[in-house]
Amino acid sequence: MKKTLQTIIHGPWAYWIGAIILGLLNILVLIVRGQPWGVTLNIELWTEWIATNLGILSNRGITLTDLMAASGTYLNFGLLIGAFWATLAASQFRFRPIRDKKFFFSALIGGLLMGYGARIAYGCNVGALLNGIASSSLTGWIFAAAVFAGTWIGSKLLLKYLM
Amino acid sequence: MLLITLLSQISFRLTLILVLGTCLGFVLQKSRFCLVSALRDPILIGMTQLTRAFLLLLGISILGFALVSWGAAVKNIPVTLNVFPMGVHTVVGGLLFGIGMVLAGGCSTGIIIRVGEGFAMQMLAFFGLAVGAVLGERSSVNWRNTFGEWPGIFLPDIFGWIPTLILEIIVLLTLWQLARWWQKKQLGE
Repeated sequence: MKKTLQTIIHGPWAYWIGAIILGLLNILVLIVRGQPWGVTLNIELWTEWIATNLGILSNRGITLTDLMAASGTYLNFGLLIGAFWATLAASQFRFRPIRDKKFFFSALIGGLLMGYGARIAYGCNVGALLNGIASSSLTGWIFAAAVFAGTWIGSKLLLKYLM
Repeated sequence: MLLITLLSQISFRLTLILVLGTCLGFVLQKSRFCLVSALRDPILIGMTQLTRAFLLLLGISILGFALVSWGAAVKNIPVTLNVFPMGVHTVVGGLLFGIGMVLAGGCSTGIIIRVGEGFAMQMLAFFGLAVGAVLGERSSVNWRNTFGEWPGIFLPDIFGWIPTLILEIIVLLTLWQLARWWQKKQLGE
């Protein structure tokens, strides 16, 4: 019993257990939200709002009130505190600096490519891939195939330049 | 906790969403679930355990979404599914996303999780993601105008619900077998 509790708190949980719980949570989000779980659209809206207020971008009419009422804000904020809480509960939290300068560039470039790709395809791994397929949409399957091909190219780049 | 209490005064629905989001973050962290590993590890090291778990997640979600949209239709509650229009940008976006997530060491969800764990690399990647998302959103219209776009195809509209679900489960099972075969081939028994 004590051992089970230890595993629950410290992890890692078996992948298939994660899959089942995540599947149920994903369905619950659809029920409560009336639309599937998504991540990047909300990040885009927040960035628009911040950039507008800094005077970098032209205003597209996004207000703080809208953002605070958007369910995506709470999903993303939840993800962050959930992960933080999970690491904290297992006393595994610490600041982890970047070890090598080349990872500085790979993180930045990777992030840019990902953000750009997700928004032209209308979603990321969660909104377009997982929940595109879960919605029985052909677009979801096509996006998944493209992401897998991209992963293959990315892995080659990783082996060549970063490892 | 304080935050949840405060929020519950304003909106029950948003509170519930925040709780669900927190659970998702907790479970993602504890189960080390990551779509980058699920797609990259078969290529890099030949491991497909997470790939197969992801297929299981897809299967559960497909069946759950079907049940929910059926229930919603019966009770006349509006539920929007993610049937997006498709076009050249679907493929290009997917390719860029795939390359980017390997370089950044996490997909958009994975990055948020790792920021929560305290990784500096993913904090930087998150900044890139935010900037990239704005650039993508603002150039999205150019992609549509240059290459055109077709309405998304909702498979049950073509085949009906039951055949679609059977077809999708068969595809997932085939991929599962393929993944198992691949791991055996790469790593032995």
